Amino acid sequence: MNSKTSIFRGITLIALVLIVLMPFILPSVTLATEILIFALAALACNLLLGYTGLLSFGQGIFFGGGAYSASLVMIHFNFGLISALLISILVGAALAFIVGSLSIRRTGIYFVMLTLAFTQMAYFLAYTFSDWTGGDNGLLDVPRPALNILGITVSDLKSSESFYAFVAIVFFVVFVFARRVIHSPFGTTLVAIRENENRSSAVGFSTNHFKLVAFVISGSITGLAGALYAMLLNFAPLSNIDLVMSENILIMTIIGGTSSLLGSLLGAGAIVLLGDVLSSIWPRWMMILGVALIAVVLFLPGGLWGGVTSLFNKLISNKKNKEESSTEVSK
Amino acid sequence: MSEYLLETSGLGLDYGAFSAVGEVNLKIQKGTIHTVIGPNGAGKTSLFHCLTGERKPSRGKIHFNNENITYLGAHKRVSKGMARSFQVTSLFQELSVLENLRIAAQGRDGLKSLKFWVSENKNHHNLEKAHEVLNKIQLNDVSDRLAGELSHGQQRVLEVGMALCGSPALLLLDEPTSGMGVDDIPIMTGLISELGKEHTVMLIEHNMRLVMSISDRITVMHQGNILVEGSPDEIKGDEMVKKAYLGESGHE
Repeated sequence: MNSKTSIFRGITLIALVLIVLMPFILPSVTLATEILIFALAALACNLLLGYTGLLSFGQGIFFGGGAYSASLVMIHFNFGLISALLISILVGAALAFIVGSLSIRRTGIYFVMLTLAFTQMAYFLAYTFSDWTGGDNGLLDVPRPALNILGITVSDLKSSESFYAFVAIVFFVVFVFARRVIHSPFGTTLVAIRENENRSSAVGFSTNHFKLVAFVISGSITGLAGALYAMLLNFAPLSNIDLVMSENILIMTIIGGTSSLLGSLLGAGAIVLLGDVLSSIWPRWMMILGVALIAVVLFLPGGLWGGVTSLFNKLISNKKNKEESSTEVSK
Repeated sequence: MSEYLLETSGLGLDYGAFSAVGEVNLKIQKGTIHTVIGPNGAGKTSLFHCLTGERKPSRGKIHFNNENITYLGAHKRVSKGMARSFQVTSLFQELSVLENLRIAAQGRDGLKSLKFWVSENKNHHNLEKAHEVLNKIQLNDVSDRLAGELSHGQQRVLEVGMALCGSPALLLLDEPTSGMGVDDIPIMTGLISELGKEHTVMLIEHNMRLVMSISDRITVMHQGNILVEGSPDEIKGDEMVKKAYLGESGHE
């Protein structure tokens, strides 16, 4: 087993180093937490877009669904941290099953339009049922319960540092899980479907089953991210389930690079950081985001991660060339 | 029971008012190389689509191994023992040659490949199958190259190789030499006749030299129906065939 397919070596190590360093490098721990949460959502989106070739505008439904469901069971039924997160995973999976099973009946542009329509519907549902969701005002006073394992309180998660540590562990576990998914028979089949669905079907795969499972996995991770976001903010805003949320998750995924899971962390980091820094200077900062997206799509098809790796490869080959020429001189 | 691996009875396919395939009774014997020829528009490809499950026939039945598969989906026919190649090369362009074959072998597992919690490295049997086919189609030297980087001739060979990965009882080949250069055609001819020793092969083909040299049986189609069927020698001497088909393309 080499470092490329091993789930604990290779880029998993890089991810681990980044997770540990982030709170020290970034201006605030809360910002680092936000980046990891959106990296979860982008990673889930990447499973669909990068590995299966499905451009889904439905990610906001799962994100918002996870946020609302976890918040509601904590507020009304006093659910604990772990059980509330499990609920968000289940709700994310269930929503993805519904949206996925209907959308994958069509391919290409019609598929994209179906996911778009579902997102619009989900937004207005959340808006209409304001008794449950708080409507425009959002769901207020979302608690952040303490982390209890087997009845022992490990941490109350009140400080932003302890919550970051918790989110970081969740992120790492999901990251390793996603690596396993990609390098499983299932993951390699997803890539085959992305490359050539017709042929995949001809060699014996019932491609819709695979796409649906990809959707459910993506939806459950996105639901989890939504719940963590609500706990971070102590608040579940309506914008969680908005079309703009789906767009943001997609933009992070594309800017980071769809060829690698690490790209999703980079993409989420870049967008969240850019938003944080620029929004305080210039209220129209979203314009720069547009420019950045255009630049990446036109000039960096592999996204930020693709850019980083090709730069790295160039440096290595330059070094090799230099060494070769210097050994020739010394001869 | 039956000595025929594949049998169609009254098979037809309509596109609106136009009948691409009329009423075809095709019988393919086990262990033979059976070629379907005919001029353009004779309905060969439409017939092929019905056999692979790509299109649902308008009438008639298809029996495979004495089992009615008329309305079975394309991917389900693989587990029954059918595999196909495409007329227009259809590979996983961005994946390596070996990975193309490995995934094709994985297709036999069907829904078992939904396992997302195990490592792909655990599935040795698919990798072994891929290497076995790689040897057979003699693409060992380029196994690490991307499929999209191969020459057209090599891509056509890989195309057949992928069908082979399904360990099929019946191999359906749609114009295997399509677009191949003159120099590459003998390679394909050799490959198909080699495969004919282990598999039942049904193919559609235009190249007459190939057809006449390797086929055990030939079915000639004309305007959606079977015109005549026989051994290569019988087909060569048949007046009707000459008129309908060979006359058009000269003395090849």
